[in-house]
Amino acid sequence: MPEDFGGRIIYILQQYGPSFLRGAGVTMAIALVGTLIGCLIGFAVGIVQTIPVSKRDGLLKRWLLGAVKLILNAYVEIFRGTPMMAQAMFIYFGSAAVFGINMSMWFAAYFIVSINTGAYMAETVRGGILSIDPGQTEGAKAVGMNHFQTMTEVIFPQALRNIMPQIGNNLIINIKDTCVLSIIGTVELFYTTKGVAGALYTYFEAFAIAMVIYFILTFTCSRILRFLERKMDGPENYELAAMDTLAHTSGMYPFRKERSPRE
Amino acid sequence: MSETIMKVRHLGKFFGNRQILRDIDFEVKTGDVTCIIGPSGSGKSTLLRCMNLLEIPSSGEILYHGSCITDKNVNAPAYRSCVGMVFQNFNLFENKTVLGNCMVGQIRVKKRSKEEAREKAIFYLEKVGMAEYIHAKPRQLSGGQKQRVAIARALAMEPEVLLFDEPTSALDPQMVGEVLSVMRQLAEEGLTMIIVTHEMAFAKDVSSHVIFMTNGVIEEEGTPRQIFENPESPLTKEFLLRFRRHV
Repeated sequence: MPEDFGGRIIYILQQYGPSFLRGAGVTMAIALVGTLIGCLIGFAVGIVQTIPVSKRDGLLKRWLLGAVKLILNAYVEIFRGTPMMAQAMFIYFGSAAVFGINMSMWFAAYFIVSINTGAYMAETVRGGILSIDPGQTEGAKAVGMNHFQTMTEVIFPQALRNIMPQIGNNLIINIKDTCVLSIIGTVELFYTTKGVAGALYTYFEAFAIAMVIYFILTFTCSRILRFLERKMDGPENYELAAMDTLAHTSGMYPFRKERSPRE
Repeated sequence: MSETIMKVRHLGKFFGNRQILRDIDFEVKTGDVTCIIGPSGSGKSTLLRCMNLLEIPSSGEILYHGSCITDKNVNAPAYRSCVGMVFQNFNLFENKTVLGNCMVGQIRVKKRSKEEAREKAIFYLEKVGMAEYIHAKPRQLSGGQKQRVAIARALAMEPEVLLFDEPTSALDPQMVGEVLSVMRQLAEEGLTMIIVTHEMAFAKDVSSHVIFMTNGVIEEEGTPRQIFENPESPLTKEFLLRFRRHV
């Protein structure tokens, strides 16, 4: 074992490099899948929670919708209001002890991250939908669209764009928070690092490597998401197709706004 | 030749316990251009929104071709696809291009093919002088252009009646002209329109029927000549007088 810091880092990497990579891979897999499924859960819950109820609807529909919303609210509050680490223990060990469900550690890992992200995303999606100008809904209704068409064509695409930064936030939080799963024995980056540190008794060096890897993962993801956001905004400029005669008669010139990208 | 399309009977509307509309009664025939004028807060916009079921009337009924649309089990989206609406704040879909705005209703509601919808959209965009801008997003347009696109979007659904809720109130004075000239052209083509407006000169010129509303009731109605040149009610007189002084 070399004496200096740099030497020890290189030694650890030579010995355990592949383990670190495998750990990082597991971390990313859980974070990505968890965020994706969590977003889907969040979209579904958020959309149901924003279904408007009017007095014109029948009693059964109102009652049913009220019951569903109550259950979903409970889900959001419980999973948002308790630590993921405690949930991990509760679900993984509790399900086996109380219900006799023997879920694999992997399933438990994906499940816990997904359901947690879902609870947070539900609120984000609800906020995203509520943030869209009611005029957009009225515009859609005025051309004869029903609630579902209004949501899918007009409201949801705009809400999605608005909550993209929050989705990115969740992904980054998930990359870091998967380390909580080491408590149920998921061999991700944190668990691997702890093993390496213990084996060679090099806590400082091993965790320095882990920190750098975590940072590279989160930073790359945040840049990719920023790029996606810009893609969603579409081009800043547009091409003209023909001549606008009316604008001229009212003393105006065709509107051609030149904008520098990202002013 | 002119058949009654819409008939409003004893319409009333409450917001909470505040009465906005009281016993509104009027009818619209094919090809009519009905202008609704009156001071702010007199219930003009609420009346128009009731006619498109964006607000549910508290009492009375609205008949469309003789059938009551305020009935509970009327399919509101289907009705709205026959009665277009243009808003004060345009309400163009911010996530779609000009062309997309004019196509989505045709495709999703009227179940037209993409090609047909595109053709129709461009036809109506040409009518309002916006065909050039099909690739632009609403946020890249000026107010007058947005409103013309909104009119094209409504026209593309080929509605029987088109409702205008103060279409020029949110516009800079220099852009009012381009929107009014489009509306004037539609009136000449015989489109049935109901227009809530503060543009008195336009109302006087273009409409075939004028309704003056104040405090949630129809104070006076008649031909533009009657209302503008020979109003009977003192309230109408006062309103028009104040308008003239300001213009």
